[in-house]
Amino acid sequence: MLRPKIIGFVCNWSKPPEIQTSEPSGFEGHPKIHMIQVMCVGRIDPVIVLDAFVRGADGVLMVGCPSPDCHYVEGNTQAKFKVKMLKKLLALAGIKPDRLLLDWAHMTDVESFVKIVDNFRNLIIAMGQSPLNGGDSSDDFLLNLRAAKNTASDFRLRVLTGREGELTQAESVYGETIPANDFDRISELLTRMEFIRHKIHLLAIQEPVSVKQLAERIKEKPSFVLCQIVEMRRRGMVTLDEIKGTTPLYKGLEV
Amino acid sequence: MAEKIGSVMVVGGGVAGIQASLDLADSGFKVYLLDKSSSIGGVMAELDKTFPTNDCSMCILAPKLVATGRHPNISLITNAELVDLKGQAGNFLVKFRKRSRYVDEERCNGCGLCSQKCPVEALDTFNEGLSNRSAIYVEYPQAVPLKYIIDREKCIGCGTCEEVCKAKAIAYDQQDTETTLSVGSIILAPGFEPFDARVKSELGYGKFPNVVTSIEFERILSASGPYGGLALRPSDGEVPRKLAFIQCVGSRDAQINRDYCSAACCMYGIKEAIIAKEHVPVALDCTLFYMDIRAHGKEFDAYYNRAQDEFGIRFVRSRVANITEDPKTNNLHLYYVEEEEPTTEEFDMVVLSVGMQPPAEASKLANIFGIELNGQKFCQTRMFSPVETSRPGVFVCGAFSSPKDIPESVAQASGAAAKAMSIIASERGKEIVAKEYPPERDVSQEEPRIGVFVCHCGINISGTVSVPEVVDFATKLPSVVYGEANLYTCSQDTQGMIKEKIQEHNLNRVIVASCTPRTHEALFRETVRESGLNPYLFEMANIRDQCSWVHVHQPKEATEKAKDLIRSVVAKARLLKPLRRPVINVTPTGLVIGGGVSGMTAALELANQGFDVHLVERTKNLGGHLREIRYTLEGENPREHLDSLVTQVLENGRIHVYLDSEVAEVNGFVGNFKSKINSESGEKEVEHGVVIVATGAKEYVPTEYLYGNAPGVVTQRELEEMLFNGAFKAESVVMIQCVGARTRERPNCARICCGQAIKNALRIKETSPETDVYVLYKDVRSYGFKEKYYRKAASKGVIFVNYNDDRKPEVSSDGGKLKVLFWEPIIKEEITLEPDTVVLSAAVSPNPDSKRVSEMLKVPLTKDGFFLEAHMKLRPVDFQTDGVFLCGMAHSPKFIDESICQACAAAARASTILSKKTLEMEGIIADVDEDLCSGCRICEHLCPYSAIEMNEKQTKVTAHVLEALCKGCGVCGTACPTKAITLGHFTTGEILAQVKAALVEEVRA
Amino acid sequence: MSEESDFEPKIIGFLCNWCSYAGADLAGVSRIQYPPNIRIIRVMCSGRVDPAFILEAFKNGADGVLVAGCHLPSDCHYISGNFKASRRIALLQRLLQDLGIEPQRLRLEWVSASEGDKFATIVREMVEQLKKLGPNPLTKDGGEI
Repeated sequence: MLRPKIIGFVCNWSKPPEIQTSEPSGFEGHPKIHMIQVMCVGRIDPVIVLDAFVRGADGVLMVGCPSPDCHYVEGNTQAKFKVKMLKKLLALAGIKPDRLLLDWAHMTDVESFVKIVDNFRNLIIAMGQSPLNGGDSSDDFLLNLRAAKNTASDFRLRVLTGREGELTQAESVYGETIPANDFDRISELLTRMEFIRHKIHLLAIQEPVSVKQLAERIKEKPSFVLCQIVEMRRRGMVTLDEIKGTTPLYKGLEV
Repeated sequence: MAEKIGSVMVVGGGVAGIQASLDLADSGFKVYLLDKSSSIGGVMAELDKTFPTNDCSMCILAPKLVATGRHPNISLITNAELVDLKGQAGNFLVKFRKRSRYVDEERCNGCGLCSQKCPVEALDTFNEGLSNRSAIYVEYPQAVPLKYIIDREKCIGCGTCEEVCKAKAIAYDQQDTETTLSVGSIILAPGFEPFDARVKSELGYGKFPNVVTSIEFERILSASGPYGGLALRPSDGEVPRKLAFIQCVGSRDAQINRDYCSAACCMYGIKEAIIAKEHVPVALDCTLFYMDIRAHGKEFDAYYNRAQDEFGIRFVRSRVANITEDPKTNNLHLYYVEEEEPTTEEFDMVVLSVGMQPPAEASKLANIFGIELNGQKFCQTRMFSPVETSRPGVFVCGAFSSPKDIPESVAQASGAAAKAMSIIASERGKEIVAKEYPPERDVSQEEPRIGVFVCHCGINISGTVSVPEVVDFATKLPSVVYGEANLYTCSQDTQGMIKEKIQEHNLNRVIVASCTPRTHEALFRETVRESGLNPYLFEMANIRDQCSWVHVHQPKEATEKAKDLIRSVVAKARLLKPLRRPVINVTPTGLVIGGGVSGMTAALELANQGFDVHLVERTKNLGGHLREIRYTLEGENPREHLDSLVTQVLENGRIHVYLDSEVAEVNGFVGNFKSKINSESGEKEVEHGVVIVATGAKEYVPTEYLYGNAPGVVTQRELEEMLFNGAFKAESVVMIQCVGARTRERPNCARICCGQAIKNALRIKETSPETDVYVLYKDVRSYGFKEKYYRKAASKGVIFVNYNDDRKPEVSSDGGKLKVLFWEPIIKEEITLEPDTVVLSAAVSPNPDSKRVSEMLKVPLTKDGFFLEAHMKLRPVDFQTDGVFLCGMAHSPKFIDESICQACAAAARASTILSKKTLEMEGIIADVDEDLCSGCRICEHLCPYSAIEMNEKQTKVTAHVLEALCKGCGVCGTACPTKAITLGHFTTGEILAQVKAALVEEVRA
Repeated sequence: MSEESDFEPKIIGFLCNWCSYAGADLAGVSRIQYPPNIRIIRVMCSGRVDPAFILEAFKNGADGVLVAGCHLPSDCHYISGNFKASRRIALLQRLLQDLGIEPQRLRLEWVSASEGDKFATIVREMVEQLKKLGPNPLTKDGGEI
């Protein structure tokens, strides 16, 4: 693969001034890295990252300031939590989490910056192109990525991600600290459930489907799918469309 | 002796606790209703439909929940547990701990935004774990109190709910609190727990997804449950085609130490099968595996018959031994023995009818209260004191005293309320505060001046509907002189503000545009009344539940709809008239018809409450049917109790006993009856406020099985008399059950005969163990704790043989020698016995006088000829006619303890009327314009409450509404050909204006 | 056709206080979405719904009318009001036909307090059906009544 499609989000305060970011040129020697400058990596909404993958990115690189140098105090910490969640979602979507990298650089250290970019680019070349850009099951990957993107815009998951630092490092509203392991378990479960629900939702929007069809399509147990349908009906994501014989069909509602 | 206290603590807020609380509170006592969960309602709130009427459970329960929640004399103490009890009857000190909700109940208005935004999911226990809820939740949408609670186990403390709560109700630092209250008496109604079906591992519950419990299945069938009311297989979400119900899971099972019958499962199993068939779009085969169908309640057998004949439900008398699963299809294989043949059958789904067990906290409650439990950890009661625990002043009702269905729980609850109030009768009215109102302003000469208050409901309304736009719109409507928006119109401070605005702008009509009048109208009416306006000068526009919540994605259309709804209500409000709540005086005296155990108990309870009673008995003696009962199954001495009861009645100065007398005429209505009592000494007229019908029943006189034609054929009652006198000797006895019951002519069960047969069979075996006793039965209906006597009889060698209608036993007499021929289904042979005595378990017939009494009181009878109560489930001792009650065998056949419960219940219900000097009736009633009335009598016939009578004035006959009887449905007005009748607050003019304004823009006057 | 697809029917709903109004509330509590075409008027009992109310609605341009009460036979809070409603509506439907109003524009349904979903479904169905039927014939031509 000669020209991997890589999107770089780089923070205003860590990017060496020598590096050009004007779209779409990237910088010298690496014409196919699209470098987008932002004020802080903490600003990068997970939805944007997933959108990049949906649009066919082979890799996404995020570069910010190392702790404790964040210009906005804890934008970089927030970015860490977001990337952690994003990697979970990528894994769920069948995309290798290594295709997303968050790294740190100093405005004054061009060499390190270039090295980060080079290494990432080489890694992506070694991994090959995104499954979306070829292969038999690219439709599946697209569905997965779109579900992941919708999941990342879910209020609940965003709340949880936004509070990770507070809850695991400082304290909860009860004055307790949640062990990082416990938190990971909770957020992992929530991420997985929301991902599956959004996937079901996308499928049910295409056409009315049954629990069994869904189970087959997403390779989960029908009993588990039914539980998700129950929750999705409660939230108004799907509704009963019709009953064919003994099989209820559900259709997705626009949310 | 310590001072008595006029308040009662009720422990447990299920339907029994709710009923007891309402009866006490309506009779002038302060009630503290404590529940361990975060809302009241208990198991009944989880049910889909109720047998035998298939009424929607929530439809009939919700009004009671709301009434309890806003009753001025009831304080709800939820999420709480008892800690300690001191003192004695009349003056207890109860200490309880209220667990933190982490939500300030004063501030939370139940808008639910927190729950929607909470990132944590937990299993919804109300839906039996079949769906999820958030970590901050209410148990169910109609929950009372509608106050959210944080599940501290699940909550991760992220703080989201606090951020979104506009009412600032979240209180993470809220602590558990301990409080001590003084109360005069205590009622325990902690209910039951469903049996844990995992214990019966051979049935596969917990292992196989398509094996569910009956309580889960209730949620599955419920339209508001996880599957939207469709029966689905949990394994794959498919509609089942073949459904099995397995009865007695955790009941009648000595192996797991549950030798009692749970009494309600046969009926709810049948009900669930019927409802399941109605709830699926395909042909559904339902099979019910049972040991005996125990349809012993009123009209239950008719329901059972319909299940077979109309719905085609298959009933198999067999205990399923084992269930296995086909792992591919998740279908289930049931192994059972039918007609002595081992059989396997495949089903799509299996429902386990789980029994009732005492609540987990039973032992703890027993320790705190110092009360006795029985061997099964249910509360111990006695035949003649069925609502008393072993500790004076502490009473019990509902399933905690023995497994029972809803109507029995409700009757026992009212009964417990009667007992709880009688020990503190002197303190009636002392712990409650009567509210004082300012005089009502006369607005009749004023032009309408309407104030409109539009609620944001946090963001529940304003998130979708543009509230400022709506307020602006409303203020420009004709007659509207003031309009404003509130964050929460229902909050305490807004109530004060509404009152100020009424004064400031001289408003004479008030409209609140917010949630639903079903929950909030009473609150706002109260506010309006406190400001000196008639409470009926108020209207609500439902722009939340029926607008913003259901059009979340259409803010523009929702805003337009909100405007239309407000314009419509403004049009109505312009026409609103103040309504008067009719007030009637109450004669604080009761009339009890019938001097059996029920009538005497009811009379005594009323007298203990401090009311005079006229007790009228047709025969020369008090005691009725109880005089013929010589001993009971449970081993108590009925005669001793009877004598004591008669003495108490005769010696009570408040009870006027009329023997050999008859009530010949009853006139008047609730609070104000006038009746004639005829006796040998002549006719006497009495005035009274209530009537209690306790006319009892009779043993059926059999025409079957040679009764009356062969000397050896007797009834159970006759046998009992012989056994008692020592006059009975026999080598062989055959008892035949269901004589005159469960037949084509009399389809229903007589309830008591199985118990009678077992009682007499045991008595025979006690005195003469060698005597052979055969009982030929259709189903042995030894429900509840009577089951253990059935076991005992079987173990003493009484032989029980099943028969069915196709092969009834035959009795013949050959030269004085009796012969009984019957089919033995186990050995599959016909058997002939030559017993010395054939005992017929004769049914219970209604009192032949019932028809006359029903016509005299204008109350209905069932097809069987027993009296028909107001509602089979929730009003078991009320008639539809206010002020008239029933109890005992007049209602349906029952045992002594059940009659006593109902008699006490009738007294409690009666005292809700007698305890008041005056009754305030509903203001929304029908009104006749006599000038327009043509006297056609259509309304008179239509009125379901007989609230319309025809009056002859000079030459014209016109309809006249009996205010005390009218319930305000408006059916009469709709049918009136001359439009002479109108219903207050829903007048034709008002509704027409509302219709028009909902559709057409108005021009400002 | 394009005109018809833009057509938003106006529906008046008479709901009994005890079952159907509660059912409509439950649809709200459960956030079940349905089209905003219905204007609900609360009555104590479906038996209170006077044919005059329904005719007034059609006269003022309603495209459909829904009357909803407690399930037959025994859910009625007032014993038998629902039976009376069912007889009355059946008669009225015949009368409507004579007036040139399609009887399908008037619907009688039984909705219990736990049937929020059913209520929403009924409204959805009605809106769909009325869209097919087009505007109330009394208003169709002149737009004036």
